[in-house]
This record gives sequence, structure tokens and C-alpha cells, in this order.
Amino acid sequence: MPRLNSYRELEHLRERLREQRQSITTTMMVCGGTGCRTSNSQAVIDAFRNELSSQGLDDSVRLCVTGCHGFCEQGPVVIIEPGNTFYCHVSPEDAFEIVYQTVVKGELIERLLYEDPVSGERFRTEAEIPFYKAQERRILSQNRMVDPCSIEDYIVAGGYTALPRVLNGVAPEEIINEIKASGLRGRGGGGFPTGRKWDECLGAPGDEKYVICNADEGDPGAYMDRCVLEGNPHLVLEGMMIGARAIGAGKGYVYVRNEYPLAVKHSRIAVEQARELGLLGDNILGSPFSFEVDIARGGGAFVCGESTALMASIEGKVGEPHPKDVHTVVDGLYHQPTTLNNVETWANVPSIILNGSSWFNSKGTKGSKGTKILALTGRIKNTGLVEVAMGTSIREVVFDIGGGAANSNPIKAVQTGGPSGGCLPLDKFDLAVDFDVLAEAGSMVGSGGMVVMDEETCMVDVAKYFLEFLQDESCGKCLPCRVGIDRMLEIITDITEGRGRMEQLDLLEELADTVSQTALCGLGKTAPNPVLSTLRYFRPEYEAHIKEKKCPAGVCKALITYWIDPEKCNGCGVCIRGCAHGAITGEKKQVHVIDDQLCQKCGICRSECKFDAIQVT
Amino acid sequence: MLQYVNVSIDGAIIHAVKGTSVLDTAVEYGICIPHLCHVPYLSDIGACRLCIVEHVVNGRSEVTTSCTLNVEEGMVILTNTDKIRKLRRNLAELLVAQAPNSRAIQDIALRCGVTEVRYPFRNEDCVLCGRCVRVCTEVWQARAIGFVGRGKDRHVEYPFGIQPDFCKQCGNCVQICPMTIPPCDGPMKPGEEYLCRKCESQLMDETPGSCTWCKLGEGFGCGRYV
Repeated sequence: MPRLNSYRELEHLRERLREQRQSITTTMMVCGGTGCRTSNSQAVIDAFRNELSSQGLDDSVRLCVTGCHGFCEQGPVVIIEPGNTFYCHVSPEDAFEIVYQTVVKGELIERLLYEDPVSGERFRTEAEIPFYKAQERRILSQNRMVDPCSIEDYIVAGGYTALPRVLNGVAPEEIINEIKASGLRGRGGGGFPTGRKWDECLGAPGDEKYVICNADEGDPGAYMDRCVLEGNPHLVLEGMMIGARAIGAGKGYVYVRNEYPLAVKHSRIAVEQARELGLLGDNILGSPFSFEVDIARGGGAFVCGESTALMASIEGKVGEPHPKDVHTVVDGLYHQPTTLNNVETWANVPSIILNGSSWFNSKGTKGSKGTKILALTGRIKNTGLVEVAMGTSIREVVFDIGGGAANSNPIKAVQTGGPSGGCLPLDKFDLAVDFDVLAEAGSMVGSGGMVVMDEETCMVDVAKYFLEFLQDESCGKCLPCRVGIDRMLEIITDITEGRGRMEQLDLLEELADTVSQTALCGLGKTAPNPVLSTLRYFRPEYEAHIKEKKCPAGVCKALITYWIDPEKCNGCGVCIRGCAHGAITGEKKQVHVIDDQLCQKCGICRSECKFDAIQVT
Repeated sequence: MLQYVNVSIDGAIIHAVKGTSVLDTAVEYGICIPHLCHVPYLSDIGACRLCIVEHVVNGRSEVTTSCTLNVEEGMVILTNTDKIRKLRRNLAELLVAQAPNSRAIQDIALRCGVTEVRYPFRNEDCVLCGRCVRVCTEVWQARAIGFVGRGKDRHVEYPFGIQPDFCKQCGNCVQICPMTIPPCDGPMKPGEEYLCRKCESQLMDETPGSCTWCKLGEGFGCGRYV
């Protein structure tokens, strides 16, 4: 395609593309996001492609491989437009039926519709499904119309309309004031006001300024940034261009971890396409503004999500944080003023410019505006990516959207904000998803991970898990983080293995406080949060481990014993065959017995037993 | 021409040279802030965190290391508050539990008010203060040693574990290492580590806020003695 030299040429292109697509009667949107790919959506895509060409529908039906639709649990997901029919758990064998029945004849295939696990009701469109109903999908909804590898799709869907608005005759201050008025806060975890960050960066002296998109998402169980960057890279790019125009940057980097191959690929393609159209490079759309973007791949260190470590990594140095006594907006990448924002923050920018700050802050609370994407995982019925308005209560997210507990065990807690966040108990579920509210409760919104836990989760074990993760991911530069986390883990391991003493709890609290106040970077400063929040809300569990040497949830292996309830055991022998350690003995039709000495507490027998005869205490 | 700024450290108004760190300024003016990884002629990385101070901005104090904080006009610094003393003591406790077999570390622990160690002693050979790496890199420009590994695995090592040709064998890394000063009674056996507290006579009951040119400072290579 030829280079675009003005806003008018961009609009012409948009018109032309829309005209070209008028012959298309039906669009099939197949999710090609990472979640659906793991449930074999690539085979589904191939099957559709073959089916469409064999039925001669290539010209009238468009197959659009989109980014994530959010409902990853139901993948692969297919949406057929017009009609918005939503099919889930689609397999390659269904391709013929879908094309013939739904696309050609316009009939529904009942068995592929989403079935509500609670009521058993089937729903036809996304909008009717309870999982989607309670959401406010401002960013994620843009994923469904766009093939991430096609800039044409993005332009047809109305993309790159915000950029021209800031190019000519708009002062940087005006853009920044709009962002400030919107109340947008950093979506990566810190929640720093984006407008203020840009303003400080604009005012900082420097020869060259930089913008960086932080896509080094590493929280266990979180994949919001991944799906936004994979599903709609041009949206992120457009946000970065607007930011660069506002602060006067000439160069940008997308720092994306190499473990996200699809995100790397899609953002590379997006940058090339934008460059080809003249949306990146010198004199963008005939304006004096020039901007270039590079993709920097990260090696996957969790600590490289920290701004100074990330910048060191881009510079080719060891990814270690530096003291931030001078902020990176003044002294950042290559010692120049740098604005670093999270993927989701950048993705919010174009719509603020397009629709105005008052549209953006119409949703949200006093301190937190707009929407937030959460990665909802754990012991609930519906897992996936959800986007809710700030201020939505955790209860709504977990029970209305998530559908409540996955099985008969009641929900006990929710862990928000990844390793830097904390665990909140059930009685705190009325708290809103809001930066300040959750911080006050000892947790944080963080990047948006939300892991739901039920009665079978041991909170001491959860704290131990996160400490192990952080100990592994700490760069080891400063003493409190390297040694402090290690010592906390030592104490918690003592507790879970039955060597705990009550005075260790006070030491643990004191140590956690010391680490959070003295560590060098954000990783260390927030590392004790899982410990502090579980100690705050689940202290009786810690005490049970220490005083009674019992794990109430039946998780900590050193404190539990497996035994067979003689009332329930009918001697079927399934557990004997299942046990890999030969710890179970017993004659057929006789009550079986577990040998404590041999039992490794793996739990296989328990999951094999059909009669709930295996007990854990 | 040197430019000066006025800073307040523990209430004392100090006419400090612009561009110097709070730690250097404080030590220069006789205010003692314990420190380990800081060496006057090397860059500061803020690894040991012992030199933490309270930096009061708009009535809110934030804890930060004084070695990485540069003096600015009107800055208010508190080096010896209850909060800082407690945090510093906890850090020193972590440090000495990690490596009790060095007089320098024992001195620092004592200086920071550690009287008991609540963690099992580990007796490691290196506390990763990074003095050796920086002297090799910055003073001798040799880069013969560096940090390898992450987190718990972090250690100082030659490139690929082999002493390179470009190691000038100057021995500075050994001289500057706080671990090379064995405790007064000689190295302690693994499993029998303890806080000897023999330097206690060098200190008053309350840790003084001003520099007394104490013998302890010599032990841990305080900026004044280097």
C-alpha cells in the first residue's frame, strides 16, 4: 500500500476498504488468542478455511482470526456475524455443520451454544451470557472485529482516528490535560496518574525522549497485557504515538517478553505495517511529528517488569533495578526522560482522545476511573479475561461473572494483584476493584490478576508459593529482598512442616515490614504483601499450623495424614491400584488401610476413590 | 566552580557541595550513618541498604538509602530516628546471620544495635556488597569479576568461571572485601557462630549520632578510614 501523506488520504483509504468489504455478507470470527490456541483453535481455523473454499464461499464469507474474546474456558470460540451467534467448544469436525447450517442456511446449532452451568439455559449471543453481561468491555470488545495481523481491519474498525486529532495544531499540554482530566491511572500495578507522568516527562530537559510500552507481564495466572497486545497491537501502537506526540518523544520501545511469541510476532507485524503506511517514521501523515518504534524482547525475568530494570535491559545491560531517587520521567532510558506505561494504559489512550475525558471517567470511582481488565482464574466456574468498570465489587466479579465456586467447596479468599498483591477473605468481597480501596485493605489491583481460592487452599501454603516465586525472581542485588525473602520463606517452611513457634509469627511480621520499607525496588517493597495480608486475615490458620500442628485445608504434607474411613470403604481396590508407593493394603471386599510410613501424601487415592472413603486430617 | 546547597541533616543545617550524596555529606560533617557497600571512590548501588535515612518531603517521610540520594536545596534528612534505628537493626541482623565470620560484619551489627540474632547462622563467605566488582570495574577497568546468577544464586565470579588474562592480579578485590577481616578470636567453626560483642566497650550505651572515629568504623571500612 502506498504511504499516506495526510489525514485525508487515511480517510480515503478507510472509505475504499469499507467499499471493498461490502460484498462480504458474513464474517466468522474465530478466536486465535493463546487461550483458544491451546484448545486447538488453529485446527478449527484450518478446517473452516477448507470448508469455505470447498463450498465456494471464499468471496462472501470472511474468516477473521481475532485476538482473545475473554472467555478462554469455553474455547475455541467462534462468533458469526450478522446475528452475533456465539459458539463455544468448537472442534474441527463442527466446521462443515457450522458453515452449512449457520452461515448458509442461517440456522442455529443448539449443542454448540453456551450452556449456563447453573441454570442449564442456553444463550445465543455474547450479550446474553452472564459472564459477558456484567462486564464493561471497552478494550476487549475491540478485539473481536480485528485480525491482529491486518492493519486494514483496524482502520476499517475506526482505528487511527485518534492519532490525526493530536497531530496538527494541538499543543502537547492540551493532550496531557485531556489525559489528566480523564483520571487515567497506570494499569500495570502502581496506579500512578498517567497525565501527571506525561506532564513531568514533557517538562524534563533532554535531547531525546522515549516512550516505552511495558509488556513484560509475569504474574502467575495473569495474561491481560498479553491478550491486548496479541489481539490488538495497533491500538497499543496508536496509544504510544499519541503519548509520544504529547511528551515530544521520537522513539518508542515495546518491551515484550520472549515467552509471548504471538505477542512478539503480532507487534512486529503491526510496526512494519504502520511503517509501510507512513503511520510510523518521519513526518507522520504530513505533520512535523516523527516517531519510530522498536520491539525489544525480554528474557523473561520477572524483575524486568520494574521500570529501571526494564530500561537497563533495553540498553543491553543486566536487568537489575537502580535506585529511583531521580524518577525515570527525568532520568530514564539512556539517561533521557522516558515515559513508561503498561500495555493496558496505552490501549486506553486512543479512546480517551477520541471520545473525550468525560466519556472515559463516566465509569469508575472517585479515585479510579474507567475500566480494568482482570484475569479471573482459580476455583470458579467461568475463568477468563474480564473487563469491568472500576468500582465493581469483588463479589460481582467472582460470583456474577465468575459463576461462583467450581465445585462444592465454598470460596474462601481471592488473591489480587499477583505476587505483589494480597489475599482478601470472603467478608471483604464487597470491596470495590479500585486502586485505593484495595491498597487500604492490604492488597492491590496490581496488573489485574485475580485468583479465587476455596476451602481446600491453605493460606500459609499460598504465602509460601508466592515467596518461592519471588525468591526465584528476585535479582539479588539488595540485602532485604535477597536475604529477607529467603528468611521469610525459611520461617514459613518451618511453619508448614510443623517446626513453627509462635514467636516466629512476630518475627515474620517484623521482617516483612522491614523488607517492604527498605528494599530497593518495587519487587522487594511489595514482596511481603502475600505474607502480611494472609497474616492479617488468616492468622488462625497460621496458629493452627503452629499450635495444633494441623493444616485446616489439608494441604501441608508434613501436617496431614491420609486414612480410610472404614464405614465408607467397600474394598473395591481402586486405591490400591492407584497408589504409586504401595502404601495401601487390604483384601478385596475388605476395608483397606493406608500405611503412614509409606504414604507420600500425593492424594492420588483420594481422587480415585468413588466413595469419599479417603479422609485427610 | 563548586555550587552549594543547604540541607538539614538531623536538624543541622549543612552547606553541602551540590552533586554529592547525603551519605558523603553526613560523614564529612561528622554525622555517622552506618554503611557497608559504599566506598567513597566507587559508584553507589544501594545494595546493603544499611545507610537508610528518612527523607522528609512535604511532611511525609520516605525511607531511602543515603548513598544514592543526592543533596538538594532545602532537603530534610533524619538519620537516627526510632524507625530508622529499628529498620537498620533488622537489616544488620539479617546481614550478620548470613555471615557472622567477619569482624567487619560483626562490628556493623553491633554498631546498628543488634544484640541477638533470631535467625539460624549461615556462615557464608560473601555478602554480595559488590565492593570487589566495582573496584575491579571502575578503578582498574579490568572487569575480571562480575555478578553471576539471580536471587539466591547470585555470586561473584570470573567470566565463565575461569580467571581471565585481563585480571591484573592487583589484589584490590581482596583488600576491599569486608569478609577478609576475621573476627578477633579467629574464624568461628560452622555451627558455632555467635556474636562476640567484644567491641562493645568502643561504644556508648546509646549509639551516637555523631562520628566518634570509632574503632568499629575501621573494622568495617567506614568512609573516613578509606
